[in-house]
Amino acid sequence: MSLTVTLVGVNHRTAPLDVRERFAHGAHEVPGALRRVLEAGASGGVLLSTCNRTEFYLSGASDATTDAVWALLDQRLGDGRPARGYGYLRRDRDAVRQVYRVAAGLDSMILGESQIQGQVRDAWELSRGLAGPVLHRLFQSALLVGARVRSETALGRGAASAPSAAVALAGKIFGDLQGRQALILGAGDMAELAAACLVDAGVRVTLVANRTPERARAVADRLGGGAAAQSLDDAWEHFAVADIVITSTAAPHAVVTWARIAPAVARRGGRPLCVLDLAVPRDVEPAVGQLENVFLYDLDDLQAVAGQASAERRAEIPRAEQIVDEEVEHFWAWHDTLAVVPVLKEFRGRMEAVRTAELERVFKQLQHLSPDDRERLARFSESLLNKFLHEPTLALKREAEAGDGYLLVEALRKLFHLERGE
Amino acid sequence: MPYHFHLIALALYGAATALALAPFAGRLAVPRGLLLAVPSAGAAFHVAGLVQMAPAGLAFGLSLLAFFIVVLQLVSERLLRVSAVALFTAPLAAGLVGLALLLGLAPTGESAGRNVWLVLHVALSVLGLALLALAFIAAALYLLQFRELKAKRFGQVFQVFPPLERLDLLNRSALVVGFPALTLGVLLAVGYAVRFTGGFRVDPAQVVWGLFTWAVLGAAVWLRVGRRWTGRRAAVLSIAGFGAVLLVYLALKITTPGTERFL
Repeated sequence: MSLTVTLVGVNHRTAPLDVRERFAHGAHEVPGALRRVLEAGASGGVLLSTCNRTEFYLSGASDATTDAVWALLDQRLGDGRPARGYGYLRRDRDAVRQVYRVAAGLDSMILGESQIQGQVRDAWELSRGLAGPVLHRLFQSALLVGARVRSETALGRGAASAPSAAVALAGKIFGDLQGRQALILGAGDMAELAAACLVDAGVRVTLVANRTPERARAVADRLGGGAAAQSLDDAWEHFAVADIVITSTAAPHAVVTWARIAPAVARRGGRPLCVLDLAVPRDVEPAVGQLENVFLYDLDDLQAVAGQASAERRAEIPRAEQIVDEEVEHFWAWHDTLAVVPVLKEFRGRMEAVRTAELERVFKQLQHLSPDDRERLARFSESLLNKFLHEPTLALKREAEAGDGYLLVEALRKLFHLERGE
Repeated sequence: MPYHFHLIALALYGAATALALAPFAGRLAVPRGLLLAVPSAGAAFHVAGLVQMAPAGLAFGLSLLAFFIVVLQLVSERLLRVSAVALFTAPLAAGLVGLALLLGLAPTGESAGRNVWLVLHVALSVLGLALLALAFIAAALYLLQFRELKAKRFGQVFQVFPPLERLDLLNRSALVVGFPALTLGVLLAVGYAVRFTGGFRVDPAQVVWGLFTWAVLGAAVWLRVGRRWTGRRAAVLSIAGFGAVLLVYLALKITTPGTERFL
């Protein structure tokens, strides 16, 4: 059995979105795709498919297997272009390094983002029946590497995207966002994205207001939580109760003015109000930010928060890469020990066969032995064999872990005429 | 022995200060466990030093105040995750312990000092004062974070300081718990004076300051709870109240002779 680790993949660095989305596999498609690839010859496979990457991790793959992956991707691309032109092929340590970097968020579009950790876990679980022992261990360790990088470096610190910056800003005002009420003005994509992030953090969207109520209704339904849908003109009173307001209308001028919301804000009793203006041109009059306990942020502010976090994260790359390199070596040391396992197994099997045969011969010669004596003799021979084999077994494993097991394995094969397994 | 325990506590509070300042020196945020462990160890040595002292005198008062401040910091961190409070509490505690060491920690041996009424009076009054100090610290952090959020500055203060509402809750809780503690402390002082000294034969400056502090704390609690003051206005109120208490203390200390046992 070959123990190589191979990666065939496409990611956001090598392929544009319109290509990546054709390669993306839904959860229900993963087992079928993997089976098809494994039929070409491989002992295990895991398919990691997210919006930013489609990566086939294979153990014991041959050239025919990688060809099968490219053929599958060609088919999904479906326009005659070769998928190979958008992808990459990595082997052994480089393939291991890649999955560790992915799990750590080092290869993510938003450096250090944590969502990928869950996606790696999902990929592993979806492919579990087909992964095989090498990839099983690889993905298990990848999750640990991701966790280690996040705990020992600041790679996951701060909010590195505009929607997550919105959550971070609201969090700095309210602390726990669970149960906070949000009001959405307008139905722009960015507002919906930011609102979705807030909903994930426990915020409840109580009202979506838009110029066209149908569109407001659609956004409210997507966000869930029983949000009401209204026209913009009915929304101003809600500034008295909402904790967070997200605006993203297509209006060419400011729609949230001091005059419109000041009376409602005055009734808040000093409770803070976070207003996130995600529209370009801006929806909120700057004077609104002068109201007591109103915190007004626009898209530039969110990007400033995200940009700052990104800069801090970039500074952590060398330390994170160092952890990845250390862990690649750990994995590879374990991987090297795998090469000796079949040889050791065969060696022990051979010795066991010799022991059993010799024991049978002795029992035939000493037929007067009682069953108890026979049992004792059998145990003695077993114990003797184990003692003889103990030290060589340990030495072989030690050498294999140090990367020098090959010579000893060869010597063992020659000395005992063992099969040359793949 | 009280001296050595206090010295160790001082060193640990100094270390806690350094840990609290680490994020501002461009270092990684310190693990929360360490932020709790170092001042906890300091408080353990501190209490070992305190129990060997007679509960009287300025040095004891300062040391007890420092101890309560550290304990309150640890409780706030456990309950509300407000690590940045240590930015103020750790150096304040270190400074108070340092001052107590300079004043001398030798046990006074006064028999009156060991009276239960007096011990409780001192403990509750100092606890009330420590809670007032904690309310001040929460208010100061609130105003700093408020200013950063309003000015859209997203630097270390924004990142390290706790959220506004959590600081507001800490400020409110400190005032609400501090007021009954101080009230009880004042009542015990009156009881002690009547029962053991045959009347109010105590330092008038001490009485003035004690009652003034009680009145300030009471007013702050009334405005926060009765009038539902929150946010920036409440933070300014706490800072003004604490400032007034400090100013009156200093004024009395300077203008009134014979206040060595004061605090």
